[in-house]
Amino acid sequence: MDPNDAARILDEQLAGGLRRLRSASTLDELETAKVEVLGRKAPLSEVQRSLGSLREESRRELGRRTNEVFTALREAVESRRSELEEGAGSVELEADAVDITLPGRRPRPGSLHPLTLIEQQMVTVFTRMGYRVAEGPEIEDEWHNFEALNIPTDHPARTMKDSLYVDVPGLLLRTETSAVQIRTMESQPPPVYVIVPGRVYRREAVDATHLSVFHQLECLAVDEGLSLAHLKGTLEAFAHEMFGRQIHARITPDYFPFVEPGAQMAVSCFICDGVGCRVCGNGWLEQGGAGMVHPTVLENCGYDAERYTGFAFGLGIERVAMVRYGVDDMRLLVEGDVRFLEQFEGVA
Amino acid sequence: MRVVLSWLRDLCPTDLAAEELAELLGRKGAEVGSIERPWAGLSGVIVARVLEVRDHPDSDKLCIARVQTGSGEQEVVVGVRNMGVGDLVPLASPGARVVGLPDPLGAREIRGVTSNGMLCAPDELGVSSSHEGILILPPELEIGWDVVSVFGLHDVVLDVEVTPNRPDLLSVLGIAREVSAATGTPLSAPQAGIPEDEEPAEGVATVEVLDRDRCPRYLARIVRDVRHVASPISVQARMTAAGMRPISAAVDATNYAMLEVGQPLHPFDLALLKGPGIVVRRAAVGERLVTLDDVEHAFTDDDLLICDVERPVAVAGVMGGELAEVSDVTSDVLLEAATFERGGIQRTRRRLDLSTEASMRFERGVDPEATPVGADRACQLMVEWFGARVLRGVVEVGAATERRRVPMRASRASALIGYPVTSAEAREVFDRLGIGAEPVDEDTVRVEVPGYRVDLEREVDLIEEVVRIQGYEGVGSVLPPVRQAGGLPPTSAFLRRLRRALAGAGLREIRTVPFASDQDLRLTGDADPIRVTNPLQADDGWMRIHLLPGLLKAVRRNAYRHVRSVAIFEVSNVFRLLDGQPDERPMIGLAMTGTAEPGWTGDGRTFDVFDAKGAVAALLADLGIDWSIGGPVGRPFHPGRSSEVVVDGERIGMVGELHPKIAERLDLPGRVAVAELEVRNLMRLSTSDLQVRDVPRFPPVRRDLAFVVQVSVAAGAVQAVLQEAAGGLLDSVLLFDVHEGAPLSPGTKSLAFSVDLRASDRTLTDAEAAEVVEAIAARLAADLGAELRSA
Repeated sequence: MDPNDAARILDEQLAGGLRRLRSASTLDELETAKVEVLGRKAPLSEVQRSLGSLREESRRELGRRTNEVFTALREAVESRRSELEEGAGSVELEADAVDITLPGRRPRPGSLHPLTLIEQQMVTVFTRMGYRVAEGPEIEDEWHNFEALNIPTDHPARTMKDSLYVDVPGLLLRTETSAVQIRTMESQPPPVYVIVPGRVYRREAVDATHLSVFHQLECLAVDEGLSLAHLKGTLEAFAHEMFGRQIHARITPDYFPFVEPGAQMAVSCFICDGVGCRVCGNGWLEQGGAGMVHPTVLENCGYDAERYTGFAFGLGIERVAMVRYGVDDMRLLVEGDVRFLEQFEGVA
Repeated sequence: MRVVLSWLRDLCPTDLAAEELAELLGRKGAEVGSIERPWAGLSGVIVARVLEVRDHPDSDKLCIARVQTGSGEQEVVVGVRNMGVGDLVPLASPGARVVGLPDPLGAREIRGVTSNGMLCAPDELGVSSSHEGILILPPELEIGWDVVSVFGLHDVVLDVEVTPNRPDLLSVLGIAREVSAATGTPLSAPQAGIPEDEEPAEGVATVEVLDRDRCPRYLARIVRDVRHVASPISVQARMTAAGMRPISAAVDATNYAMLEVGQPLHPFDLALLKGPGIVVRRAAVGERLVTLDDVEHAFTDDDLLICDVERPVAVAGVMGGELAEVSDVTSDVLLEAATFERGGIQRTRRRLDLSTEASMRFERGVDPEATPVGADRACQLMVEWFGARVLRGVVEVGAATERRRVPMRASRASALIGYPVTSAEAREVFDRLGIGAEPVDEDTVRVEVPGYRVDLEREVDLIEEVVRIQGYEGVGSVLPPVRQAGGLPPTSAFLRRLRRALAGAGLREIRTVPFASDQDLRLTGDADPIRVTNPLQADDGWMRIHLLPGLLKAVRRNAYRHVRSVAIFEVSNVFRLLDGQPDERPMIGLAMTGTAEPGWTGDGRTFDVFDAKGAVAALLADLGIDWSIGGPVGRPFHPGRSSEVVVDGERIGMVGELHPKIAERLDLPGRVAVAELEVRNLMRLSTSDLQVRDVPRFPPVRRDLAFVVQVSVAAGAVQAVLQEAAGGLLDSVLLFDVHEGAPLSPGTKSLAFSVDLRASDRTLTDAEAAEVVEAIAARLAADLGAELRSA
């Protein structure tokens, strides 16, 4: 074979072979094409066989070129084979295609109740400050719920109108988590730093902003040297953790029989930054009652009220949940409507 | 306490606006709930003289009044005829506005006669709620004067929320004292002193108090020449704004004085008092009296009555009786000003379910020093309003109690408030409050507590006054030095874990009210429930003993609201009596109904017992508890689809489906899968310590074995025997198919298990595996009649 003819054939075979291989649309076609291009009867093979008859100079040059063409075509076969095997254009895979816009399979989602979520967040804020969670019964006796808390028998708060009683003499459904203050102090000497999250009961008609059964988080600190400033500082720390660093805390005078001085706690509204909006009205969100533990209460628990002072406050968990999640009707919290609850999926 | 701003300014002439006062009072602990303007919009009403009243040509009831205004004459159609020629009346001309009508008046044709505006009744001017006739104005006014400015009908009312410890704030004077202390504006209290008649009160009537504990002070004044007239219009307007109905000048004087100085007063018609004399005593059991509201009450011997020398005439501190009521023929009045013990008034008020302005003040505490102040103020008003003759002196039993003297240390105040307070600063606070405080030593002041401050009993109460008047806003903000690690007790921590596990198992947490109705108790059985003695509604008559009824109600609510798939749980307390005492136990309840897997990937299957069982399995696996199915449970569950949940032979709960008949009765659609578990048991049984096993180094031999058994043979029993027969080489068993029907013969079923065999030290040979399979087949055949269908 003339070396020039051989070189021409190599060029033709490379270009034509690559075209031929790429046009194969199934693995079978590719196999046929491979035999045509690289098989023993292929022109390329003829060139290879004829190399021996060439002069050394041409033989070295054409031999290298022949190998290059062989390698390129073999690579093309493999690359086309991968393409065909991996699918693009494969009939089997086309048949296996799906409508990828269909919703995916997911495990059935569960969710925690917003009050659980808020309570856990609140508890975490206080436990991180060193408070321990204390517990007490929901059906409480009048000593712990009233007398020990400096609410004597003829006190207006003790009417059947306001409290729910049960048919065991002297027992009622606790009206405040404050009852657990007494139980805690009766069971341990100072210092005391506890919180009490829990359910409380009032004989009150239910509407969008009132439930007769609701939840409080009580905080009690008794130690040497505690003052109103510690109460305010603790409230402020709580507000910063729950609502953000920009929040201010405020206390104003109020009356509860078990504290003196007594206070109402409020934090600046985090929605409007304390300017006043639909949720807060006047820029402040009321959080509940507070104050310095009344010396009579400390004395009732056998504490030395001259040596120890303390503060206590009760936060409304529903109220925090409503503000935090924008719930405008408290009844949603007890209806168990799945369409309400499912919004808390994935809330931690 | 509704405080009329002009009244407040009479007693403390502050120039602060209503909003500023509200803010100020709030910062001092007397929150203003609302600021009202009862006369908002009233304008353009003038004084007019009636010139003529003639019949309406086309109506029997209506008449036409021709009136003279400052600028001319006008005709208006009127629906009543109480005005006479020459009377002065309020005229609202076209363009004027009256209370209760949103738009300005226009000229209007009424049955063919044009009415240029209207004459006003008291309610249309907000003077009282009366709509019986046109308000006749005092003759000394001049035609054309503006009625709004003549009677001050542009006032503002502050509705102050008074805390129960501060009864002194249930009076305009009390609020004025607070404003004075907060602003420094001096108080201008009503002038004491009244012109008394020569005739002495002593001897006209007697007063006897038989229970001095319940009535420490009783003072009577005698007022003669009582005339039955209406109070001045501006007074009526003030009282109406303050929330009290004007009645007649004599009665209004007592109410006005009460609102002003806080001392409840009661006028008796002297002529109707037998004796005449007053006897204050306890009631005899069953004694009766008709009160002014026309209700007959029967009393206990704990109730205190005001009597004449023969019979009861009033319920002390609560309400007067009809027998000696002041009426339009009354000419002489015995005016009562007394102090009653708080608790007694409260008990009587509760027993009678009768709360009045008087009882509200007495049960919180009325100033024993205010008795003569209140009586004198009412007498003063009666003199002023209708020229009453007040007899000289009083008939009185008892006296004001001595004032408490309470010491307060500035050092203690500093410690409690958290900023330094000197005794001089403390004295300044009490000075602003008008309360006497004298220095005892460098640190201590002694405070003389006036009778109206019933709340100031011990040092800490005085400390509150110091920080209250100085301002809570001055209190600093410091964190306490907590010296312990915080945390949760085991129960709280465990409940958290449960809730997370259940939410993780695809259930949504709900919270329900922990009450139960009679029907709820019947549903679950009523083992020793606790009754709520005074529930708000009958459905809340018991404490719940199960979570199930609450869950089912939530399920139904969701079904009514077309929710497709409901899977909910609650973790909360249930209650029952144990040895006569309440026992509170936390429980877990769950309920599932509707489409198990909504959406295109699901097969349309609805929740059933196996979903509930799966949730229980997931939870108990999470807690590391091995459990099993136990015996059947009865009502209200499906007899063939329910069971006890058992751990180590002990029942810890149930899982199953609600009985279909009961579900139907409760209007619950389809199958309702439920479970209830006792938390205390779970807590005791759960493990959180983990010691890992070695991960297997050799491959398992997997054999799929299908056994044909009678339908009645439980899969659980087959698996148990299989596990036992397989012995130590058994690694795991998975029941992967249950089949009934062709090609099996009727009454049989096939259970297919995938059994993994494995040794820890070598790869098992086929021969070893075959040996185990043979043993399994033999045992199942022998024990349960099972036939190995394929291996």
